[in-house]
Amino acid sequence: MDKIRVLIDGKECFGSPGQTILEVAKENDIFIPSLCYDKRVEAYGACGICVVEVAGNPKLLKSCSTEIEPDMAVRTNTERIKESRKTNMELLMSDHHGDCKGPCSLNCPAGTDCQGYVGLIANGQFEEAIKLIKEKIPLPGAIGRVCPHPCETNCRRGLVEEPISIAWLKRFAADVDAESGNPFIPECEPDTGKKVAVIGGGPMGLSAAYFLRQKGHAVTVYEQMPYCGGMLRYGIPQYRLPKEEVLDQEVKLIEKTGVEIKVNTRIGRDITFEELKKKYDAVLVAIGAWVSTGTGCKGEDTEGVIGGIDFLQSVINKTPPDLKGKNVAIVGGGNTAMDCCRTAVRLGAKNAYNIYRRTKAEMPADEIEILEGEEEGVIFKNLTNPIEIIPGEEGRVKQIHLQVMELGEPDESGRRKPVPVEGKTETLDVDYVLLAIGQAVNSEGIKNIELTRRKGIAYDPDTYMTSEEGVFAGGDCGNDKISIAVEAMADANKSAEVIDAYLHGEKIKHQMPYVDIRDDFDEEAFEDRERKFRKRMGQMEANKRKGNFKEVVYGYDEEEAIEEAKRCLECGCGNYFTCRLIEYTNLFGASGHARMAGKKNIYDFKDPDYKGEDYNDDHPYVLRDPNKCIHCGLCVRMCNEVMGIGALAFVNRGFDTVVKPALERPLEESGCVSCGNCVSVCPTGALQARVTQRKPIPLEVELVRTTCPYCGVGCQIDLKVRGNQVVGVQPAFGAANEGILCVKGKFAYDFIGHEDRLKTPYIRKRGKLTPVSWDEALDHIAENISKIREESGPDAIAGFSSARVTNEENYLFQKLFRAGIGTNNVDHCARL
Amino acid sequence: MKVVIGQGSCGIASGAQQTAGEFERYIKEMNIRNVTIEKTGCIGACFLEPIVDIYSAEEELEGRYVNVFPEKVEEIAKAHLICGKTADTYLISKENEEYLNLQKRVVMRNCGQINPESIDDYTKKGGYKAAEKAVKEMQPENIIDEMEASGLRGRGGAGFPVWKKWKATREQESDVKYVICNGDEGDPGAFIDRALLEGDPHNIIEGMIICAYAVGASSGIMYVRAEYPLAVERLEKALKQAEGKGFLGKNIFGSDFSFDITLRIGAGAFVCGEETALIASLEGQQGLPKIRPPYPSKRGYWKKPTNVNNIETLANVPYIIENGGALLASMGTEKSKGTKVFALAGKAKRGGLIEVPMGTTLKEIIFDIAGGIRDGGKFKAAQVGGPSGGCIPEELLHTPVDYESITATGAIIGSGGIIVMDETTCMVDMARYFLDFTAKESCGKCNYCRIGTRRMLEILERITTGTSKDGDIEMLNELAEKVQDGSMCGLGQTAPNPVITTIRYFRNEYKDHIVDRKCTAGVCKFETAQQ
Repeated sequence: MDKIRVLIDGKECFGSPGQTILEVAKENDIFIPSLCYDKRVEAYGACGICVVEVAGNPKLLKSCSTEIEPDMAVRTNTERIKESRKTNMELLMSDHHGDCKGPCSLNCPAGTDCQGYVGLIANGQFEEAIKLIKEKIPLPGAIGRVCPHPCETNCRRGLVEEPISIAWLKRFAADVDAESGNPFIPECEPDTGKKVAVIGGGPMGLSAAYFLRQKGHAVTVYEQMPYCGGMLRYGIPQYRLPKEEVLDQEVKLIEKTGVEIKVNTRIGRDITFEELKKKYDAVLVAIGAWVSTGTGCKGEDTEGVIGGIDFLQSVINKTPPDLKGKNVAIVGGGNTAMDCCRTAVRLGAKNAYNIYRRTKAEMPADEIEILEGEEEGVIFKNLTNPIEIIPGEEGRVKQIHLQVMELGEPDESGRRKPVPVEGKTETLDVDYVLLAIGQAVNSEGIKNIELTRRKGIAYDPDTYMTSEEGVFAGGDCGNDKISIAVEAMADANKSAEVIDAYLHGEKIKHQMPYVDIRDDFDEEAFEDRERKFRKRMGQMEANKRKGNFKEVVYGYDEEEAIEEAKRCLECGCGNYFTCRLIEYTNLFGASGHARMAGKKNIYDFKDPDYKGEDYNDDHPYVLRDPNKCIHCGLCVRMCNEVMGIGALAFVNRGFDTVVKPALERPLEESGCVSCGNCVSVCPTGALQARVTQRKPIPLEVELVRTTCPYCGVGCQIDLKVRGNQVVGVQPAFGAANEGILCVKGKFAYDFIGHEDRLKTPYIRKRGKLTPVSWDEALDHIAENISKIREESGPDAIAGFSSARVTNEENYLFQKLFRAGIGTNNVDHCARL
Repeated sequence: MKVVIGQGSCGIASGAQQTAGEFERYIKEMNIRNVTIEKTGCIGACFLEPIVDIYSAEEELEGRYVNVFPEKVEEIAKAHLICGKTADTYLISKENEEYLNLQKRVVMRNCGQINPESIDDYTKKGGYKAAEKAVKEMQPENIIDEMEASGLRGRGGAGFPVWKKWKATREQESDVKYVICNGDEGDPGAFIDRALLEGDPHNIIEGMIICAYAVGASSGIMYVRAEYPLAVERLEKALKQAEGKGFLGKNIFGSDFSFDITLRIGAGAFVCGEETALIASLEGQQGLPKIRPPYPSKRGYWKKPTNVNNIETLANVPYIIENGGALLASMGTEKSKGTKVFALAGKAKRGGLIEVPMGTTLKEIIFDIAGGIRDGGKFKAAQVGGPSGGCIPEELLHTPVDYESITATGAIIGSGGIIVMDETTCMVDMARYFLDFTAKESCGKCNYCRIGTRRMLEILERITTGTSKDGDIEMLNELAEKVQDGSMCGLGQTAPNPVITTIRYFRNEYKDHIVDRKCTAGVCKFETAQQ
């Protein structure tokens, strides 16, 4: 038959009569998106994403059903098409009710895949866990110890009883990795020949260096202090984060990726900023905020008044003030203030007073820090505010005069505002005053860069570029955004992406991918969950720890970590990484779907008022969530047209349509044969494979093509592999199966990683199976087989392999018999 | 003498059966001889029902009595049947006669004239002659040529040339082909198909026979909605009668052409009026439209070539074959030939069915034929084409009703419903009302239709309750355009029409609602503002 010539986006393509535009485009590698097309079932045309324009036709045409005609001129990506696709996705998303990612990950400034690594720990895949963490956090041991963990604050397990100990689990994974003797170091791309200077070796600088190095750039970190780590090293006390044992080790790993670190080098003193700009293709300013700020009260310049971070730094540098037997007042309510209090206690202070103008409940410090400080004897002078620091005769601090406060009306932040109680004051006798109020930036040496009003480095929050071309900034030093370490790492990751593009001659803006979030959870939603409180971590008793700087908490052991990780509620969608709905939402810029917001078609099976199917979610292999369904009908059509079963169908009409099992019975009783092809074709998370053997984790996986071992048909499958575990199967388009599988091929893969699987050879010795080494076993087999073959010939031997071996193993097995032993007496017991 | 009482659904609803009972009782009581009582279908003047026609022995119409409620029967019967004088008080008025006289009857030519339950009545009027002529004297190709000459376009709404559809089915090679008559008239306010089935079922059957012969089909299906029980009953009778006479079955008119018709009842989904959804429903599947191509003419019922025509379309066929296509083509406009039946409802003085040549203006229909607005009201707009149609304001009343002109206003001919509205109708509320209907009737297959119509409805609900937001009109327009563009079938493609046209012609009313929270028609009740 003659070929028909068509032009698709100006490209000449040829197709056969009867072929659709979509088919011809696919054959010619021209991308036309679609959510409801599948060549194995009849064209459906419901999604409308595949629309194209054809010259001479005023309408948008669905390419999945429009047949090609001679010399047709097709456009697949005009503004009108993009606009239609965008609104289409907006409408779909406006009716989507589900979480793409868990609140843990979404609330981590660095976007760490918390659910992912918690799940991996639950499954005992510690190596994979650290790899995943290190995609975002280069210093996980440090962050796991000191992070104020917004992930946990937002963890939904908190609605059940207590959040997952996400930070401690991170620390666990990092410690296991560090102690493994072979800690994980990411691979770097080939050298690009581009050079980047990073000013500052703190969390921001080190992390940016780490990410940029992975992209193949030569990175040099300039650090003014003798050691890297920034505030993690000099601002966090040893008892919370051991320096040599943890932080320095992690810095070394960064160095091992090829990052050059120059310590004791200050810009403007040892090398000029201008020189750096000349020498490097890009410069990143990550100098942090190292200036301690005061309250502005009288007497702040008195001898004996020390900035909080300056004090902590002096302790790390082993040049602390002598606090033994002294009275110390620490002003401030944040973690730095707590660090100062607890450090003062450890230095032998007689009384360590914490001065804070609100109550404990309003303190920004972590609750655990306050609690542990209290245990160690810190005296909390809440609802007091310094008025004056009064010097003694020799000019040193003698007293601190305090205004007594009370809580008034809430301010804009919702916290109740402290107001002075008229005429009520208090005076404490003190020898030192530590001011842990706030920090500021000292940008001395970084010349000719625009600064913020508060003297921070100003940069574009989307491109991270400063007023100077090729000079970038982030972390505490920029845009007056002094925050926690993980926030700096987030900046590092984002700016690295932008800098990388810049080094390749592109200017991009960092953009967070859009995700859908459910906000309708409350305690009631989890009432049916078993209460299981978090695993407490062992720690040193207060009286044992307050006299030294040893690390307070011990860390989880494997068993504790696994048990804790198993508490995860698995909020994020299991199909996030394969979901075409969210992919297209981002692709077509439909993130602003709020403008389409309206009622959602929600099926709440737990709702006692829900009238309908006696919802039974017990299907052994298929997990359903109609609230994520986009009504593409692929599952229904696959089940009906290809499998000839009809277990699933559309119920109701219009907006209320929902996919349900036939006759609204439980899916298992609907004639379903559990082939899972519905799951395989679902473009969203509405139908997912139920995972029972391990914790289901949404992860990016590697696909390994193989042949299903169960019968002789030879269905091609892709094993989904993460680390050393097979975590799922998806059908491949082999000649025998065209992307179709049966229940065995799709779901019965758990034997591969099953804990009962024999991994050690056994030999029956004196009637008892005894584990032996591989060498011994192989010798035993070889010896006996050789003997039989010599005595009775090769055909006296027959081999039979288990149904639960992979195709590759079967291949080797038969090869051994045919080529090695010389017999065709070999078979596989699951053969049809 | 013959007393003929109109007993279509409209007549029955007005009490025609009681009227007939009264006549029967009176004639029996008075022992009046040589008087028979018969029934007929709807003549179209529903506002005059029950209508009683009294014919002389020579079949001359002697008197047409209107609004004959049972209490009037004695007086009329006494005067006319006993005294031989017409009971003038109850005769149809001159003015109301105009209603009928100004029309042009093609498809309704027998409605209200014959007893629909009698095949003899139909054959006496020349019925089945066209089918006989077609089968015995014409080649299928000639029939299609004749259809082409008539210029007839599909009356189901889309206005696709009938001959093209027939030809496409004819050209398919297949062992089996089907003809389906689409009687799933789901538009609220439209009752044309019902009246045709109730008033002249044989005309439709005959049209189907001719069509089947022309396209080469051996099997036919009548798909009638369950909400039309009387039509179903009369159709069942008619089919039996036609079979009995050999007009259906094997070797029709002694030829080698065989054809039978099965009657199937719809289950009430509006979308099943769409041909592919109708076919899916006939196959026992859910009534979801399928994407076209392939068209049913290529791959229809049970994947066989299938020709689907609307009832009114088929009702034209015997007339065309009997009189030649040119006669029909002489009526109407250049591109829209023949007549069209409209169902007039709402605030028109005279409501019912009217058949007029294509090209008649809306003004003629609403003011000359229907007599304008009742109760002294002032015309505001007419919703033309049912819930999927659009509203046409006063300044466009000169628009001739033909496919192109009506479409140009933003409305559609659709199934032929015309709802006349006066100043007491709020146009925003009307748009909300119709969209509520189409959104509920959306099958849910296409994203744009399923979610888009719902979002549009939500906006309209906001506007009519005083909770609208800035940009709501713009959002409505944007969604309307995209829903039209992105929907597979006629339902979604036309659902936004009432919204688009009301915004186009009555934007001020929208603004009143949004900005001033005011409904001039006094229909919308606004939630009291939060203090």
